[in-house]
Amino acid sequence: MNAYTKYFVKKSGWYLLTLFIALLLNFLLPRMIEGNPVSTIASQVSQGMTDSDSIKKVYDNFAKEFGIDKPILVQFGVYLKNLLSGDLGTSFGLYPRPVSSILASAVPWTVALQLPAIIVGWILGNVLGALAAYRKGAFDKILFPTALFINSIPFFTLAIILLYLFGITLKWFPISGGYDFQMIPHFSLDFILSVIRHHTLPFLSIVLVTIGGQAIGMREMSIYELNADYVLYSKLLGVRDSRVARYVFKNAMLPQITGLALSIGTMVGGSLICEIVFSYPGIGTWLFTAIRQLDYPLISGCTLLIAVTVLLANFTIDIIYGFVDPRIKAAQMEEN
Amino acid sequence: MSRTILDIHAHAEPLPQRDILEVQDLHTYYRTRHKENVYAVDGVSFTLEEGKALGIAGESGCGKSTLALSLMGFYFPPLHYKSGSIVLGGIDVMKLNKEQLRKQILGREIAYIPQAAMNALNPTLRIIRFIEDIMKEHRPELNRKQVRELAAERFETLNLSPDVLNLYPNELSGGMKQRTVIAISTILNPKVLVADEPTSALDVTSQKAVIKLLKDLMSKKFIRSLIFITHELPLLYHVSDDIMVMYAGEIVERGTAKQMIFDSVHPYTKRLMGSIIVPEEGMKSQKLAAIPGAPPNLKQVPEGCRFADRCLYAEDACREGKIPEKWSGGRKYRCIHESNVLKEWYSHEAK
Ligand SMILES: Nc1ncnc2c1ncn2[C@@H]1O[C@H](COP(=O)(O)OP(=O)(O)O)[C@@H](O)[C@H]1O
Ligand SMILES: [Mg+2]
Repeated sequence: MNAYTKYFVKKSGWYLLTLFIALLLNFLLPRMIEGNPVSTIASQVSQGMTDSDSIKKVYDNFAKEFGIDKPILVQFGVYLKNLLSGDLGTSFGLYPRPVSSILASAVPWTVALQLPAIIVGWILGNVLGALAAYRKGAFDKILFPTALFINSIPFFTLAIILLYLFGITLKWFPISGGYDFQMIPHFSLDFILSVIRHHTLPFLSIVLVTIGGQAIGMREMSIYELNADYVLYSKLLGVRDSRVARYVFKNAMLPQITGLALSIGTMVGGSLICEIVFSYPGIGTWLFTAIRQLDYPLISGCTLLIAVTVLLANFTIDIIYGFVDPRIKAAQMEEN
Repeated sequence: MSRTILDIHAHAEPLPQRDILEVQDLHTYYRTRHKENVYAVDGVSFTLEEGKALGIAGESGCGKSTLALSLMGFYFPPLHYKSGSIVLGGIDVMKLNKEQLRKQILGREIAYIPQAAMNALNPTLRIIRFIEDIMKEHRPELNRKQVRELAAERFETLNLSPDVLNLYPNELSGGMKQRTVIAISTILNPKVLVADEPTSALDVTSQKAVIKLLKDLMSKKFIRSLIFITHELPLLYHVSDDIMVMYAGEIVERGTAKQMIFDSVHPYTKRLMGSIIVPEEGMKSQKLAAIPGAPPNLKQVPEGCRFADRCLYAEDACREGKIPEKWSGGRKYRCIHESNVLKEWYSHEAK
């Protein structure tokens, strides 16, 4: 087995173990409710219900889902089986809606908000950072402190400032939701315009922080690479400046790609604060609602989705990255 | 003597004694971030003949690396050119503009191997891709296949495996990386190769391989002349024809390797070479001797002899004016004392 295969197998092992622990925690969480969780839940869900038949139905439904009368190992087996068939349980808060259907309706909002914002912010941030390193001078003197400033205010504060300034004071943009709430989602120009207007502020807030972080990182990396020995050596062999600049920016860029992949991979989790501030109908807002209502299956569903996407993103980066960047590959080999 | 220091040329056909590089009163300096000037090369003149290997020795911080870099005629901050001329194969390098320099001189007429050549290669570029990039500048008529053939042939001739071409720099050992850098630098057959401490970071086996490689380059005429900087005695001893000793931005002595190692005149050279005790049986130490005290700060050099504060034979006269260079028996040195007087003193010292 060569060093890289060994590395691959070892890494996969660690990720599988982490995934298993995440699943286990997710399984145990609702079962840690005091007493008989099923009756607690059933009584909570069936509050206000008078018909004893339907109360009984609710109880049976959760008893079956949890496999409450069976030994804990069998319960875990049932949990895994349900999971594999895409069944994440039934929400308490929106009973009897399945958690998977709530998540499925929320994910597109989160992705449509985050993905373009992360990509736009990443590209702009890297271009600005590289320019600051290369040009130096006044450009750098303005850009660098600005980026540092944006990067050092907490995202929550930044989002609130945008909301207050453009939403409440100037009233340019709506302050909450994914679209005008009196509208029914359908495919029309009106609806699309409404979505875009609601999208703008949360989008801008993410673009801004992403630019800040990426520009700082890229500037740092580019300065480091510009001073690397190979720059001088290549130039002294007559290699033209533009080609050497390409070496420099490729090398500075490669680590930044990890950053991009990671933010894409973690966007479901990363969306939390932004969505909560702007009451955007994505995963983050649902998780927030679920926590307030002690809606355990929905909390579980959200956290599971976040855990799995983060793990998947990290794993992909760890594995793919060695092929993209020989420096990383060498480091990975040494790890063994 | 059963062997001579010049033995690398024993089988080479005699070359016409022609100067390939002439440096006249070169002054270069660093401009630091605090707007101070460090005069690291402060009035250096020397010539290099075709077919010769010139070793440069001296303590750390004396301006050796700066001289090596300055010889390329290519300056960028913080290093600046102040005055002096560099004539390479009849071309006055300082009269060329950057683009002419890049197209006609760098890599073609003179090539440079930086100190710590371990990091000289772009870590994300395969060796062959880098060679292709160099060829795109200097031999644009060659296609990729031809470049690969040429590179493979050259590597083979130099006893380097052509498989190296497909690797990334990090996949090579330290010694291999150093030899690869040397092979790349000389692929265009530059007249002069300037190597800054090519063996200093290597183990003894790799050092030997590098020394052999440098000798091969000379004997196969891939390069015509060699300038190298070193602290390692084996390199000075086995490769140099001439040795030049630098101190505080100046050349203090220059002569043939034999003169410099076994019969030096300048008190600084004498101290530096002090570790060679039994010349015929090899060297007592691998490195040049350490001398008590430190070289002067190159931001503000003292008047007179720059070595005076550390010299056993310094007098008041040593600290006045500029010390001129003197000639004695084919060597050049910068000291107010006469060579026979100095040698007389050294003979007492030995007892
Ligand atoms: N980039 C730099 N900026 C300012 N000073 C420098 C720089 N590089 C070297 N120096 C100074 O120039 C002098 C000569 O350095 P160098 O040529 O590297 O010496 P050597 O190679 O003989 O050890 C030293 O005093 C060193 O501190
Ligand atoms: Mg040096």
